[in-house]
Amino acid sequence: MQLISRGILSENPIFKLALSMCPAVGISTTVMNGLMLGIAVLFVQVFSSVTISLFKNKIHPRIRIPSYTLTIATWVTVIDLALAAYMPEAYAKMGIFVKLIVAFAIITMRLEMFACKESVKDSFWDGLGMGLGFLVGMMVIGLVRELLGSGTILGYDILGFKPLLFFILPSAGFFVVGLMMAFFNWIEIAYKRAKGLK
Amino acid sequence: MKDILTIIMRLTLSCMLAATVMGVAYLTTIKAKKHNEHVNEQKVRYALLGYSDQKPIPGSMALHSIYRYVVSDAGNQTIGYLLPGKEGFIFVTLDLEGKIVDNKEVKVEESSLAEREERDKIVRGIAGGKDVVFADQTIVVTDNGQRVAYLLDGKFTGFKTFIGVMLALDPQFSLLGLEILEHEEDPGLGAEIEQDYFKNQFKGKTFDTLKGMDVVKEPLPDKYFQALEGNIAEADAAAILNQYLEHDIYALTGATISSRSVNNGVKGIVKKFAYRLNILDAVLAEQKIAVAF
Amino acid sequence: MHKQLKYWTLALLFSLLPLCLQAAELVSKQSFGAENEIVLTFAAAIDKDTAKNTASYKVFEESDPDIILEIKEAVVSQDGLQVSLLFTEPLNMAKAHVVSLRDEDGKELASLLVKKPYIGYLLSILISALLVNNFVFTKYLGLCVFFGTSKRKTTAKGMGVVFTIVMVASAIMSWFFYQFILIPYNLNFLQIVVFIGLVSLTVQAVDTVLRKVNPVLFNSFGVYLVLVIANCVIIAVPLIMASNNYNIIETFMLALGAGGGFLLALYLMSSVRERLDLANIPPTFKGLPIAFIVAGQFAMAFLGFSGLQLF
Repeated sequence: MQLISRGILSENPIFKLALSMCPAVGISTTVMNGLMLGIAVLFVQVFSSVTISLFKNKIHPRIRIPSYTLTIATWVTVIDLALAAYMPEAYAKMGIFVKLIVAFAIITMRLEMFACKESVKDSFWDGLGMGLGFLVGMMVIGLVRELLGSGTILGYDILGFKPLLFFILPSAGFFVVGLMMAFFNWIEIAYKRAKGLK
Repeated sequence: MKDILTIIMRLTLSCMLAATVMGVAYLTTIKAKKHNEHVNEQKVRYALLGYSDQKPIPGSMALHSIYRYVVSDAGNQTIGYLLPGKEGFIFVTLDLEGKIVDNKEVKVEESSLAEREERDKIVRGIAGGKDVVFADQTIVVTDNGQRVAYLLDGKFTGFKTFIGVMLALDPQFSLLGLEILEHEEDPGLGAEIEQDYFKNQFKGKTFDTLKGMDVVKEPLPDKYFQALEGNIAEADAAAILNQYLEHDIYALTGATISSRSVNNGVKGIVKKFAYRLNILDAVLAEQKIAVAF
Repeated sequence: MHKQLKYWTLALLFSLLPLCLQAAELVSKQSFGAENEIVLTFAAAIDKDTAKNTASYKVFEESDPDIILEIKEAVVSQDGLQVSLLFTEPLNMAKAHVVSLRDEDGKELASLLVKKPYIGYLLSILISALLVNNFVFTKYLGLCVFFGTSKRKTTAKGMGVVFTIVMVASAIMSWFFYQFILIPYNLNFLQIVVFIGLVSLTVQAVDTVLRKVNPVLFNSFGVYLVLVIANCVIIAVPLIMASNNYNIIETFMLALGAGGGFLLALYLMSSVRERLDLANIPPTFKGLPIAFIVAGQFAMAFLGFSGLQLF
């Protein structure tokens, strides 16, 4: 459980570790997109962590990285095919980003740092935590951009008008992520200051 | 040395394992994917004709597909139409001036014409091994044997890459509806071509209006906008839509080029189709070829 | 590759046939003019009456040979060397048009293909990947590495150059694999694995070669090689190549543009960030947050390239 909370808060891949930001900026125009991609990443992360952990003793140290890459690529292909077949509308919106999951540094890093050393059960929880962290991050960014950009959440009209079209435009992704990172920093500094004063 | 051998062996094994996993995933999903595509296509077609889940298509309606091919033979080109006859299929070949060249009966199952690759092979066989290129597919919708609509699809250059559309025309070639199938336009700008207030402007335009239609860079009048989006009662909306029936298309804000592309693309598709269908109908009547539509 | 060879051999054969030699000599140049115009330049002055007669010309789009386009007027220049065909409707210049010239008896004298120059198309792919669809600022790919290596100008330059080299090499290899193995054997679903595999291979190869050939260069640039694999752009380029089915030259242009665009983005970003280091930034924004905001501003600026069409 601690592993999961670590994945979501203190080591959140998007806001704290600043990894795999490409989709955070490009795709997070709506909550639904964030959710779908988050689920895809969660799937790949969990399955890759478990697979590598299962085979951790059989992987020769010199071909570590290619093995990770192969595992991740396999699971990405699987989820890519599955999404294309079973959820075509969502898949069309995400476009190329599902295939790009293979290049996400976060997954490789996690395998390198955790899955190749720890047990299968721990790797599973860690993968879940990281994936959930990514999912939550994407949904939060998506929430901000969708609400402020088109006035809807998950397609349901909340505001009834479009406040700032700018937020849907991809360049706003940078702004929103930057601001949220600053926000996380601010919370951390305030927290540390509070603890320090105590 | 032994080290490298183990590495290579392990790597090969894992590659093969990975390939099997992916292969299985591929085979399992390919059927679902094709089925989804087919269902989606059907949905779009019915929606263009005005039917949906709540209002299903009547039993008297039938959809007949005409496939057009360009047959090349040593610099000579002819147009081949694969049509549904009263029973079975017919392949009619016309020359570039619209005169009949050949007319063959084709014994083939309708299901084998659904997939493009198989169909291309069949047509190549009919054409005697000549070079055939699939041009487009038209669907003629009949109700109790009478033609009620034509469904066409087309692709043309947009502001960014391509825009794919599907149109519905009535027997006089007026636009019954327009649906945007695919595009890569900017969200919030060019992507607004998907919205009702743009697409529905094309609805009802007669063939004559369409031939000279252009795009005007004026703001969309509010009443017209409400009528297009379906926010007003049907009777009032119909009156407003009638008022603008011969008006040019109002461009999307910040997306003039996308609006122009759709306008010109639709114009091109309809004009070419009308020209070709008139020729085909003339030939079918003259040669007394019995077709299912 | 096959298509290229086919065209070259055909061109060679045609240039040997005397009849076509004559036709090739008839018209020295053909191109699109204004919105509804095709301009033909003849090698020698022709009969003005035949030239003015619109019935001497038959023009159609290559893919629609049965639809003859209506010519409003044929304007002949004073010296009889140039004819400008004006059409009633604007031409769809994205499509290749076929112009067929006939004499009074209706016999075909020449058949010309009018289309936008290919080199223009290639350069437009390059410019598109470089500016209009810049992979970092417009497509939001490769960001992790981008933010990591844009702190100093030197790191930025190093990363950019290494990236471009690996990009071009792996793109070309991916093209070969795609054309000769994936398509013929219907193995499209293996795209992802094959492409990333090729990238790793290229990185490994460049690593080994650089180590042996130029150790000095390796010391300054080699460390970035590993980062290249974690870059989304490196796999996005082969995927785009596959979905658009580019030929080898187009792939090369795309890869060059992608690498160049990345280098440009890195260089711009690092210049700004070096300055930012000296500025007075509130602690919450220090580091990545302000970098993101700057990137956002760059992205907005690059939006200005949208719709750039030089060719």
